[in-house]
Amino acid sequence: MTRAVLLVGGLLVLAGTSLFLWKATVLDLPVIPSRVEGLWRVELEILARGGGRRGSVRAALPSTGPGQVIFDETSAAERLVFAIRSEDDQRTGVWRGRFTGAHRIVHSFRVELSELEVPIPDEPMEPPESVRKAFSRASAELPAGAPDVRAILEPLGLPRPSDAAGRLRMLFGFVADEIATAETGSEDALLTLGAREGRPEGKVRLLVTLLRAAGVPARPAVGLRLPAEGSPERVVWAEAWIAGSWVPAFPVEGVLGRRPEDVLLLRSGSLGLVEATGVEAVTSRHLALRELLRPEELGAMMVPSQPVLASLSLYRLPVGTQAALRGLLLLPLGVLVTAIFRNLVGLRTFGTFMPVLIAFALRYTSLATGLLMVAGVIALGIGGRLALERLRLLLVPRLAILLCVVVLVVTGLALTGRTLEGRAFFGGVLLPMVILTMLIERFSVTLAEEGVRSALVQAGSSVVVAVAVYPLFRSSFAEHLMFGFPELVVAIMGVLVWIGGYTGYRLADVWRFRSLARTAELEP
Amino acid sequence: MRTLRRLRERGILGINRRNLDFTLRWNERRLYPLVDDKLQTKRLLDAAGIPAPKLLAVVREHFEVRELPARLEALGSFVLKPSRGAMGNGIVVVVARDGEWLLRPGGRRMRMPDLQYHAASIISGLFALSGHADAAMLEERLVVHPDLAEVVSDGVPDLRVIVYRGVPVMAMTRLPTRRSGGRANLHQGAIGAGIDLAGGRTTRAVQGTEPLRRHPDHGRPLLGRRIPGWDRALEIAVRATDRTGLGYVGADVVVDAERGPLVLELNARPGLAIQVANGAGLRPRLRAVDDAWRPGLGVADRVARGREIARAASLRLAS
Repeated sequence: MTRAVLLVGGLLVLAGTSLFLWKATVLDLPVIPSRVEGLWRVELEILARGGGRRGSVRAALPSTGPGQVIFDETSAAERLVFAIRSEDDQRTGVWRGRFTGAHRIVHSFRVELSELEVPIPDEPMEPPESVRKAFSRASAELPAGAPDVRAILEPLGLPRPSDAAGRLRMLFGFVADEIATAETGSEDALLTLGAREGRPEGKVRLLVTLLRAAGVPARPAVGLRLPAEGSPERVVWAEAWIAGSWVPAFPVEGVLGRRPEDVLLLRSGSLGLVEATGVEAVTSRHLALRELLRPEELGAMMVPSQPVLASLSLYRLPVGTQAALRGLLLLPLGVLVTAIFRNLVGLRTFGTFMPVLIAFALRYTSLATGLLMVAGVIALGIGGRLALERLRLLLVPRLAILLCVVVLVVTGLALTGRTLEGRAFFGGVLLPMVILTMLIERFSVTLAEEGVRSALVQAGSSVVVAVAVYPLFRSSFAEHLMFGFPELVVAIMGVLVWIGGYTGYRLADVWRFRSLARTAELEP
Repeated sequence: MRTLRRLRERGILGINRRNLDFTLRWNERRLYPLVDDKLQTKRLLDAAGIPAPKLLAVVREHFEVRELPARLEALGSFVLKPSRGAMGNGIVVVVARDGEWLLRPGGRRMRMPDLQYHAASIISGLFALSGHADAAMLEERLVVHPDLAEVVSDGVPDLRVIVYRGVPVMAMTRLPTRRSGGRANLHQGAIGAGIDLAGGRTTRAVQGTEPLRRHPDHGRPLLGRRIPGWDRALEIAVRATDRTGLGYVGADVVVDAERGPLVLELNARPGLAIQVANGAGLRPRLRAVDDAWRPGLGVADRVARGREIARAASLRLAS
């Protein structure tokens, strides 16, 4: 290693680590995430387009209540006036103004979720007038007076009217067990009842309708299921008023008397999340990000006591950008590991960063699924070569045919994958696809150029390095460290300068030349 | 740890140091095409009057592949190889014809359409270093000098000379075996036999890292063999590398029965297995070249200097 390399590398490492240490000790920023459970940052993004008329966009906002604490709420919208309207514990965000062209509305908040247990009270209690009036009547959406509904209730043999808990259990059982859930079904209560299958909305409306028809006050509810990875999913359920408490009932999931710990309640009383008047088009989506820090630690990260750092904090970026950066900032760690394996250990891998890319693809699937995919690609490479060799095709069309086969296989998996890990697999299928394509190409070319043995050795080494990188890419500690302390990238660059200037032996050299280290070997 | 110290003491060159201190430092990237593209190398050698296998034809385009049978009509034996191939991949040797069959070494054979497909694959870049379009070269097939041919059962043995700053520093001969499929590729199981630069005799032989005294296929002795045309081989290796402008080169030489040593190709990233074949490290010799280097030395002087350095290094090793 030359002195210049030593010096430059040292300076970079020093700069990176000293900034990191200063932040960690002087500013007292948390280095190790405290492994919080159930803390999320959620962002609602609404895009509205208007033709110059006055109008408003209304969105259901969650409230702090049993099982969920909402804090750190911020809202931003161009050219619109924002207000929060509260009625009966339900909060609605209202953005008013003249809608001209495209408007982007972003509302974000943090939420701490916990499981909500609502034991079903067995003692009878007459609902107060206000509850009965609001939550027992029939409507077009909830046709509790319809003849079909009456007709289904009679043969069920409901318990006596004062046993509201018993009626709830029976009707819940009926909708959960007798009505199938189908994405192709209806969202309407009566159509769902007639077809004996419906979408989640249809099942929930049917349950609420039946409860109301049976004299149990009930209302639909809508919220989000926040996953550990990926985008949140809309989830709907029913709430029944039994002796003073609203009992949650999830007919799709078959959960009664409990709200799961990953479900956030956005609105009860109706299934609408975003409504608009006076605009031409409106679309909305929710984004969510799992937080690794406790609320007070987050505060420290977002607004460090140092004003310059405060303005540089990555924690204040929009959720989508944060999610992308969290992945991106892990890449330097991955390439560091690759450089160590290639230049210090001496493994031969595909391409320079193929292992990092493989690990990045694995990040979006589980390790087993990902490795299975890599093995599948390698099998396909060898099989395709054997099958296509007789046809004598040129290189590019031959690779293109292999790619078509991969697409067909992925499509086939989509059909079978609904029951398997479907969602996890297809959550991030695009990126892994691109990476697998590159892997196929590298593998086929190596196969042709250097033979099966060499191609398998390189594929094996690539997988070894990818598996070594994978835990880093999945680790919430590494993610927090790199995201909260991006100056560490500079330190990594310093270490890479050192590795780049390292002229000593690789482990593979020592193995290759081991016979030269034995004295006796050299005697002719 | 002890292994590490021993390797360092014996001056074994590792990959990282080869890359940083030798190939990166002495071989300019822009000069690589001169040696990676065998057609360019050939032109360079011809211009300098350095003996090389004769180029019979070049096939660059797919339509030319159709004309291949006609062009080959008059030839009984030839070699088809990619212009930018690496490690001996994609080379087809035809030794004779038998009706529609093209006979290859080791009793294998192929038909003309197979050869045409192979030529098309070469043109598509299947064997090229970068995978880009390539040209297929047709060369005369060499007849290996009997002194070397008797050591191998099958395939063409060659000589590899490492030339550093115009001075030859280490050499070996690569002897194909049945395990290597007739190829002179050490990774695939060919034998590497170290050559004493001064005397031109084989001193040590290895297959992989295993030292050998006799050829595993037929049991003939491997050590103490005199390389035919050794002085000439060293001279053309040095002259060839002089033309490239590269400072750290592996020159591959074949000894033809009639024409004597011919430069087959040059390599800007020569492998390190030559150290195992010689049982000696490259570093002391490279350092000696640096210490004794003077500008303007002629080829003969530099070859003589290389032999001295090698002799001194082996004496030091023996003591």
